[in-house]
Amino acid sequence: MEILQYIFGGIITFLLAFVVGMTFGGTRRKIIARIQNRYGPPIYQNFIDAFKLFSKTSAVHHGAMHYMGPAFLMVSSVVSLMFIPILRDGGWFPNLNFHGDLIFLLYMMVFGSLGMALGAGQTGNPNSAIGVTRGLAQMVGYEIPWIMALVAMMIQFHTTSITGLMDVQLQSGTWNLFASPFAFVAAILASLGMFRYAPFNIVGAPAELASGPASENGGKYLFTMMSSHSVFAFVKLTLFADLFLGGAGNLVELLIKTFLLYMIPVLYGVVNPRYRTEQAVRWFWGWPTVFGIIAIAYAVWST
Amino acid sequence: MNVIFLILILFLVGAIVTAFAGKWSSLLQDGLFILAVTIPAVLFFTQVEMNQLVGWTRGGIHLELGLTPFSYFFAILVLLLGVASAIYSVGFMHGKARKSYYYFNYLLTIMAMLGILFSRDFISFFVFWEIMTWASYLMVVMNGTRTQEIGIKYFVFSAIGAYAMLMAIVLIHAQTGNFLIQDFIDTYPSLAHGRQILIPILLLVGFSVKAAVMPLHVWAPGSYAYSPMSFTSVFSGALSKMGIYGMVIVFVTLLSHLPEGGLIRDIIAWMGAMTAVIATLWAIAQDDARKLLAYSSVGQLGYIVIAVAIGTPMAMLAGLFMAFMHGLFKGALFMVVGAVEKQTGTTDFTKVTGLIRKMPWTFLTALISIIALAGIPPLGGFIGKWMLYESLILSDHYLLVIVAFFSSTAAFLYAYKFLFGFFLGQEEEEWADVKEAPITMLIPMLALAVGSILLGAFPQLILKPINNGLISLGFSDSYGKLWETSTLFNEWGDKVVLQPIIYAIMGVFLTTLAFTYFRNRKRTRYVSTKDISTSGEIPLAHENLTFKENFFQPFLRAVEPVMKKQIDWYYREFGAGLEAIFNFTRRIYSGNGQTYALYAVIFLIVLLLLNGNLFGQ
Amino acid sequence: MVGSPVLFVAIPLLAAFLIPLMGMIWKEFVRIIPGLVLAYMLVLSVSLIIYIQSHGTIVEVISGWGPPVGINLVFSPFSGALTTLMTFLGLLVWLYSHKFKRNVDYEPAKKYFILLMLMVTGSVGMVLTGDLFNMFVFIEIVSISGYGLTSFFVRRDSAEAAFKFLLMGAFASSFLLIGIMIIYTQLGTLNMAEIAQRMPQMDYHMKVFSLIFILVAIGVEAETFPLNGWAPDVYTQAPGPISAAMSGIVVKAAVYANIRIIYTMYDLQGAYEYLLIIGLITFIVAETAALKQERLKRMLAYSSIGQMGLAMIAFGIGTKEGVYAALFLMFSHAIIKSLLFFSGSYLVYNKTSKYIKHVNGMGKYLPITAFLFTLGAFAIIGLPPFMGFWSKLALLSAAADSNLVILVAVILVVSIVEAVYYLRVVNRIFFFKKRANTKPEKPTINAMIAMLSLAAIVLVIGFYPDLVTGLIERAADDLMDKGRYIGEILSKN
Repeated sequence: MEILQYIFGGIITFLLAFVVGMTFGGTRRKIIARIQNRYGPPIYQNFIDAFKLFSKTSAVHHGAMHYMGPAFLMVSSVVSLMFIPILRDGGWFPNLNFHGDLIFLLYMMVFGSLGMALGAGQTGNPNSAIGVTRGLAQMVGYEIPWIMALVAMMIQFHTTSITGLMDVQLQSGTWNLFASPFAFVAAILASLGMFRYAPFNIVGAPAELASGPASENGGKYLFTMMSSHSVFAFVKLTLFADLFLGGAGNLVELLIKTFLLYMIPVLYGVVNPRYRTEQAVRWFWGWPTVFGIIAIAYAVWST
Repeated sequence: MNVIFLILILFLVGAIVTAFAGKWSSLLQDGLFILAVTIPAVLFFTQVEMNQLVGWTRGGIHLELGLTPFSYFFAILVLLLGVASAIYSVGFMHGKARKSYYYFNYLLTIMAMLGILFSRDFISFFVFWEIMTWASYLMVVMNGTRTQEIGIKYFVFSAIGAYAMLMAIVLIHAQTGNFLIQDFIDTYPSLAHGRQILIPILLLVGFSVKAAVMPLHVWAPGSYAYSPMSFTSVFSGALSKMGIYGMVIVFVTLLSHLPEGGLIRDIIAWMGAMTAVIATLWAIAQDDARKLLAYSSVGQLGYIVIAVAIGTPMAMLAGLFMAFMHGLFKGALFMVVGAVEKQTGTTDFTKVTGLIRKMPWTFLTALISIIALAGIPPLGGFIGKWMLYESLILSDHYLLVIVAFFSSTAAFLYAYKFLFGFFLGQEEEEWADVKEAPITMLIPMLALAVGSILLGAFPQLILKPINNGLISLGFSDSYGKLWETSTLFNEWGDKVVLQPIIYAIMGVFLTTLAFTYFRNRKRTRYVSTKDISTSGEIPLAHENLTFKENFFQPFLRAVEPVMKKQIDWYYREFGAGLEAIFNFTRRIYSGNGQTYALYAVIFLIVLLLLNGNLFGQ
Repeated sequence: MVGSPVLFVAIPLLAAFLIPLMGMIWKEFVRIIPGLVLAYMLVLSVSLIIYIQSHGTIVEVISGWGPPVGINLVFSPFSGALTTLMTFLGLLVWLYSHKFKRNVDYEPAKKYFILLMLMVTGSVGMVLTGDLFNMFVFIEIVSISGYGLTSFFVRRDSAEAAFKFLLMGAFASSFLLIGIMIIYTQLGTLNMAEIAQRMPQMDYHMKVFSLIFILVAIGVEAETFPLNGWAPDVYTQAPGPISAAMSGIVVKAAVYANIRIIYTMYDLQGAYEYLLIIGLITFIVAETAALKQERLKRMLAYSSIGQMGLAMIAFGIGTKEGVYAALFLMFSHAIIKSLLFFSGSYLVYNKTSKYIKHVNGMGKYLPITAFLFTLGAFAIIGLPPFMGFWSKLALLSAAADSNLVILVAVILVVSIVEAVYYLRVVNRIFFFKKRANTKPEKPTINAMIAMLSLAAIVLVIGFYPDLVTGLIERAADDLMDKGRYIGEILSKN
């Protein structure tokens, strides 16, 4: 029965993440359009796109890895989702977060890009491969401040689990945003790369690479990828909310917090042009890493 | 006869008989070769008793052999890889030159490794260590390419290591009067402080050479890359672990008595971390699969060294577990390269491409092993990585975590390059006729890959022998009951339960796959990699769209400052300087008889002038 | 008693006179008789070794004149072990060259075999004699036969090498005579036991002077730095087996003389340090010089010098372990270096220049010879489980026991250089393409037997060093026990 409960809860969580992620994505498109002085698509445009893709029939494939690429991507998003507490007390969203900790999550979250990269590789499209190499390079860039932020929190609060970090905030009454501010800054700067919005949209790079790894995918493949991207965006936002903003007691709180967090990469992006890959990588090893080191020093000092 | 002797002698006799059997029949030779590995392996697992010592005296030196639980763990790895790679070798060496030579050295290497693990005294240890060195040296130079450079480099560094060890051994003998390892461990705490520091450092130098710790690693990339791939899987998978074996013994039994032990350990851990970073970056830059894996091996060994040098109970488990895992997946990966080399004749990424549909099983092995290498759950690689990070965080080595994590993330780059380079990308005409590797090569590869999966779900299979081994070393502070369930946990109470993770991953994976694949299977058709949308243009058949050159150029540009000069360069300069000096000593012998006569006279005069001071009273 | 030590000297000298006469009857006698003589000497030596194990050292007084007046020959465990080694090697050299010289004319062959026999005889004499002047005579016998053999190939280079040898030999002879003269004027005796007994009475400065002259003189033969300039040339230019005989027999005898003089005759403690330091310098210079050599036999020559330096270091340590190690080193070096010279000569057979590059690719054409060379190379580097390892271990162990940590480190570092130049050759043999202008020459059956028996010793001792360690240990005991040596000789009086 427990398993059924988890499966059921998982489906509900997935739907929530899907809806929230899609809506946020639509909002972003709208915001960017307004800033660029366009009218922009409606906020629900992403749902329309998704439905269109879902209802299309695929005619071709490029082999086994081509099938599995989107599946890997989905595994990464959904499994990460299952290991992140959505609300503080679980409620409608029971999940497995007691069975895995941050380090597990860290690896789970990078799993998708690698899987997708393999799927893209089999299509033989050179743009895909170029996009992949850029994406992997950027990942090495932002993972450094990101792990530094996490390690700083781990040593400050003596736990490596997300629930543990949420409990710490509940008990002390302060958000980690204030308890370990440098870690927050480092993590947020790293998140700019994680979201891959401008100026870090070097993987898709519409004008150069024709959307990179996604370029040979259409129909259901693209739908799978799109929905897992949306879910993944929600995963990242929830994780940030859990780690730094004390988690959420109810859905409204969750939506507000995640939306605010989402605005950071979105708004940073609209005013910046795209970096070159090596610039992006070096950017992450600059100030974000410095903040990460300060965060660790601060954590060591404060314990 | 004692079964330990029997095993060693079977290997030796097997090596000689196999080498000569090729004169009569190639098939007989292959059969004998497989038997020469499997029979001793079977004997080992069924007949050898733990902690039973056999002693004898040779040349006035008392020698002892025996098996401890700690060496048992390493013996599992050696024999597992030894047997798997032996079966693989039969396929790999089929129709190649110098087969007898290969079999002979292969068996000697396996024998020497087992001998090292059996040795309970320093002389047997050293003897087997050196046999291992020269037998593997003969393998490194076997292909005949760049022997004077790669082979000599390997031997010189091995010799540096071995001679450091030999120096330690004779110093130990001067202290204890015999060569028994246990006697030395017992007397170690009572030694003079200078000796207490010198001896472990010398031993560590010896072991770090084989474990390819920076700055003694420069031999490794070349040697791994230029040995026959079937041997490299043992070379990198098992032989390098002999260094780890020795290191752990030194750390646990000696350095724990030393006040400065912690400092030495931290230094070694940092050397391991630097190795991991630099080797990973260089691996990313390689265009040859053999070299990529060679650098990757060095990098992976770096993690292992970090873990065992930190030496908390969990770090020890992590290090040894990673050592085992590395044996499995790197063994399998080198076999993959061997299979590709055998079928296509090259290991260059920029040449071979799109083999996935030609060699699906090889690709599957590569995929699983690469996932294990990258440390992605739920395979065994993740468990090692998890324990490593947790133990580093819990033992306050924060910067090491960052460094280790950096190189582990950067490892994704070369991991992807490996898979993409051989198997994905454009399918070219040139490789249209490539066939899947023969079955004798596939089975061992897949078996090792299955091992990686198995250990991801049931790490206790190997954690338990590791723990037993550590206890037998005197490392009584074992870590909870980590090896009894499929749950990983640390001292803060955080845990990872493996079963739900595996179920979740499999569940989501299959559901999505069902969604994209099973419903579409009938309706979609396969299209070649030429049938793609490249900005709206349809590529022609002869157009090469493969993207392989300068694969990670942007990333490499970003890390350029650290990759300007290889450590190799400094050694080369040093070597060139030495040779220049030696050239001078050569010139002392001018070839002129008058000069020689002059030397004699001068020498006589100098001695006469010195006379009062020369010989004392 | 099966025979007398006198026979070691008498039989070969007699044979040397008879060979030309016998050669008139049947030319093959010229080749066969030296072999028979050497075989006889080996048998004699082995049986004497067995004899002295139960009966103690043999001191043979020649023509009834007792020590200290007359000349005596001492067959002790130490000198006996060396005699056996030398005669054994002498026999192998003969075996190796028996057919090697078949295509050589009668006259050169006659000279070659007679001189070879005399060289062995002289060396054995040096080891057995208990009289200083007698030793001088034997050294001269060895040197003169050495000059002759060096210039065996009548070529400009050979003559030059022989001349250098002659020049240095002349210096050595005169210095040695001066040394002997000083001793004789001071102590009035030339019997080594007698000298040893009376040594404390000698004036300190005279003692040092005489020792310096003798050491410089014998140092020429023992190839110590800087007196060894002749050696590389001679080794390169002499026929292969003669190089083996030089490094395996002559140098061993010279080192023996060196050691006997320092250990037994003199009571100067500092002489050990002299041995240690000079040995170390010799070792370092020779091994590093060997690295950049271009000719195979020259490289082997430097290696040989280096190994002798190693033996001198071991003697210089001065403890019983040191002497044991030194003797072990001498033994293993004699065997292994002969193997290397034997097999190496075939690898570069057809070229008079004997460049290392001529061995390229020979592994394919001369597999057994190449394998034996490799075995020798591995053994001399000191890789287990071959013979060289045990001797090196004994040396390092002795040094460590005497707390000479730096010495251990230096020896090991230089050993790496040694490994490099040997492996470079091995790599060339097996993994390089054969040069177009080199012609592989198959070894004759005799040569093969000689090489295989040496290889067998290398392997067997490597796996089972106990075969010789007992013998070497007794020899070491014998050398260390100065009082007994004096007592045994003078008791014959």
